[in-house]
Amino acid sequence: MLLQQSVTYQLADGMRLVFIPTDKFKTVSLALFLHLELRADLATRAALLSAVLERGSRRYPDSLTLRRELEQLYGAELSTDIHKKGERHLISCTLEMVHSRFVGEGEELFRRGVSILGGIIGDPLLEKGSFREEYVAQEKEHLAQEIKGLINDKAQYALERCLSKMCQGERYGVYKLGRLEDLEQITPASLGQFYRELVPRCPIDLYMVGDLDPEKVLRLVEEELRIQRDGLSASLPPTEVRAEVEKVRYYEESMPVQQSKLVLGYRTGTSFDSEDYYPLLMYNGILGGFPHSKLFVNVREKASLAYYVYSRLERLKGLMVIAAGIEAGEYQKALGIIEKQVEAMARGEISPAEMENTRRSLINALRVQEDSPYPLINAHLEGSIGGRIETVDEMVRAIERVTPEEIARVARKVQLDTVYLLRGEEGGEASA
Amino acid sequence: MSISWDILKSPELEERACRCLIEPGLEVYVLVKKGYRKKYAIFSTRFGSIDSRFQVEGSDQVIDVPDGVAHFLEHKLFEDEQGDVMERFAALGASPNAFTTFTHTTYLFSGTENFPDCLELLLDFVQEPYFTRETVQKEQGIIGQEIRMYQDHPQWRVFFNLLEALYALHPVRKDITGSLESIARITPELLYDCYRTFYHPSNMALFVVGDVDPRQVGEQVAANLARRNYRPLGEIRRFYPEEPPAVNRTRVSQEMVVSQPILHLGFKDAEAAGLTGEELLRRELAMDLLLSIIFAPSEPLYQELYEEGLIDDRFDAGYEAENTYAFTLIGGETRDPELLYQRLMEAIHRQRRRGIPQETFERHRRQHLGEYIRRFNSLEFIANNYLAYRFRGADFFAVPALLKQLKREEVESLLNSQLQEEQHALSLVLPRPG
Repeated sequence: MLLQQSVTYQLADGMRLVFIPTDKFKTVSLALFLHLELRADLATRAALLSAVLERGSRRYPDSLTLRRELEQLYGAELSTDIHKKGERHLISCTLEMVHSRFVGEGEELFRRGVSILGGIIGDPLLEKGSFREEYVAQEKEHLAQEIKGLINDKAQYALERCLSKMCQGERYGVYKLGRLEDLEQITPASLGQFYRELVPRCPIDLYMVGDLDPEKVLRLVEEELRIQRDGLSASLPPTEVRAEVEKVRYYEESMPVQQSKLVLGYRTGTSFDSEDYYPLLMYNGILGGFPHSKLFVNVREKASLAYYVYSRLERLKGLMVIAAGIEAGEYQKALGIIEKQVEAMARGEISPAEMENTRRSLINALRVQEDSPYPLINAHLEGSIGGRIETVDEMVRAIERVTPEEIARVARKVQLDTVYLLRGEEGGEASA
Repeated sequence: MSISWDILKSPELEERACRCLIEPGLEVYVLVKKGYRKKYAIFSTRFGSIDSRFQVEGSDQVIDVPDGVAHFLEHKLFEDEQGDVMERFAALGASPNAFTTFTHTTYLFSGTENFPDCLELLLDFVQEPYFTRETVQKEQGIIGQEIRMYQDHPQWRVFFNLLEALYALHPVRKDITGSLESIARITPELLYDCYRTFYHPSNMALFVVGDVDPRQVGEQVAANLARRNYRPLGEIRRFYPEEPPAVNRTRVSQEMVVSQPILHLGFKDAEAAGLTGEELLRRELAMDLLLSIIFAPSEPLYQELYEEGLIDDRFDAGYEAENTYAFTLIGGETRDPELLYQRLMEAIHRQRRRGIPQETFERHRRQHLGEYIRRFNSLEFIANNYLAYRFRGADFFAVPALLKQLKREEVESLLNSQLQEEQHALSLVLPRPG
């Protein structure tokens, strides 16, 4: 329902504003996205830029003044972040604030919020074209720690390792935070230049969700969000979806940890905008998207081999991953059971209950998106990146129509590409 | 059958909840959220990981159970004679789950369709235990992997190591999942003993939030419970060891595969143990305010530490209080844990010398109020918190009024009595060499 009510404005300077009016939330939520091509030579700068922007704007030149202004807005939450969606890289700036009516304030509160976001993206702290030296140096150090810190979450680490091995020669293989070796070479001046070249031309989407008057929203955006633009957005290359796998590659890495992490990367040969997308969504749901799925039932409930096991689509890249946390000694057994489930899918062994349960669960997952502002924004954003803008009702109808034959057709295109094991080795016992 | 309802209003939030008591003693809450597609329901029992020794009134038997029983029972209720509960929720298009904390176990579902059927299923599966030797054994494998997963989780380890350092005897020091050894001792009989004690409706509560009709919810729950012929349950007595006020150990550390050290600094609040209801909630709010006044990103300390690379933007400080224990926890990843430790302790002393300016106090109070309201977007947040506070005897809707009542002097006096040198312990996770 909410997506149907969204209003899209193409602003004069090539930016797009999507406004979703609703009075069901306590908040007003803003999200601005700068779109870039995901590329090894840009990724580190984009990640660093996102962090440096959050340090302040010309109006709020240091974190202390900025954070205090956010507190005055009743604890508004501001953050910049970096995302990878298919072979697109996005810098985001989000601001969520309580709606003024709950704190006995007027519209001025909202204007101050938009003005903060406008300043962070459109009027950053540049001095002679350079970012402030100490901010850049500090954020380089923080980003370096964050890149190295991937290892702290073993499941996430294993997932990233598998995908980067699998997509070595593709843009998708680039890590969203970039590389340590590129970080060293970035200077306050080169980062300033990157900003000045990026912002005038990159596609920019701004989302607003909340109980607001559309005309006032437009006026506020024009007044408070001043971004230097060339007038038109550059077009970005589409994500490449590869279907062929020459031969399955196996990788293994050892680490002194208690639980081994198994990750399998598959190519589905089906892109988000393809007519096979909804059958693929059903395929993934039946295989491993839910606690009633084949993987959960067979690997966890029947064989008792794992606590977590799931399959997940990287729908903008046409990939699927299966992940499980297992005992090192059970690697072959777990792999065997997983492959058996994938083979069963390819043979079309799907029960009527699996069909219906998955359909209902997928429809439920779609409908609940409209009950939280950021999932709602994300659904619209991914749809527009992937070339599939639909209302929830249209998506529901598409899921209702998927047949077992269509799933079997999609299943035959799914190919295993890469198997990665983070093997827990001796010495991983707890020693508190 | 007539059910009498109380109305609980929160003018600040423009929300109201209805409450009723259903025979034989189940508290039911319904909060109507217009415009939401999702309905979210939780069915909770006051049985958590710390309830390892108990007795029911009228019985002379004191029962001791192995660590991790509450969590194990949570897993096992998802299976009954007809098979897997997950699948039946899926057929209704709903998503079920459960979680166990130190003090309670919660079963839940969220879904947009078939609400009465989903609610019926939730009520049924939680009230119909089915444990066999074979299913218990199978679950030991699954939970064994869950335990291993947490053992590799640095944030989890640094937290539980800290609790072990703060507490010598209180079972809050033990992992909620138990250990591989303790879960090996769990049997179907033991699960039934716990079940009969803690899963009586008078020890439980239900919270439903979404666009639903409270009257229908009440009638449905009453009908479901009526056919089960519950007998009244005597009062449950829970026994906790006499915890000394002093910390158990001042420092613990563990080596793991991590990119840099993680530090958690904890302060045991022995004075708060025994507080309940509004007093406990008030102390929690005051402590949270105090911690953000010292450690929040809007204060100079945070900015100095951040600029020196001693903390990152996940650095956090918080206070956790239950009826039998309470502590403060401060920490995050750091390049130099010794230096960070020293700076944090100094910062507390410095704040004591300076006191709390009124302007600072007001700014943080405003921030807390706004954040509380914002989070009411989430049905899960509302239901989970409402019951968690209810179980401590407090009213979660009272937060805005209590925040407004709080005085700077009250927070300042906590600054002087709390966060004392002799109440602290340090937990570190350090990178494994090589």
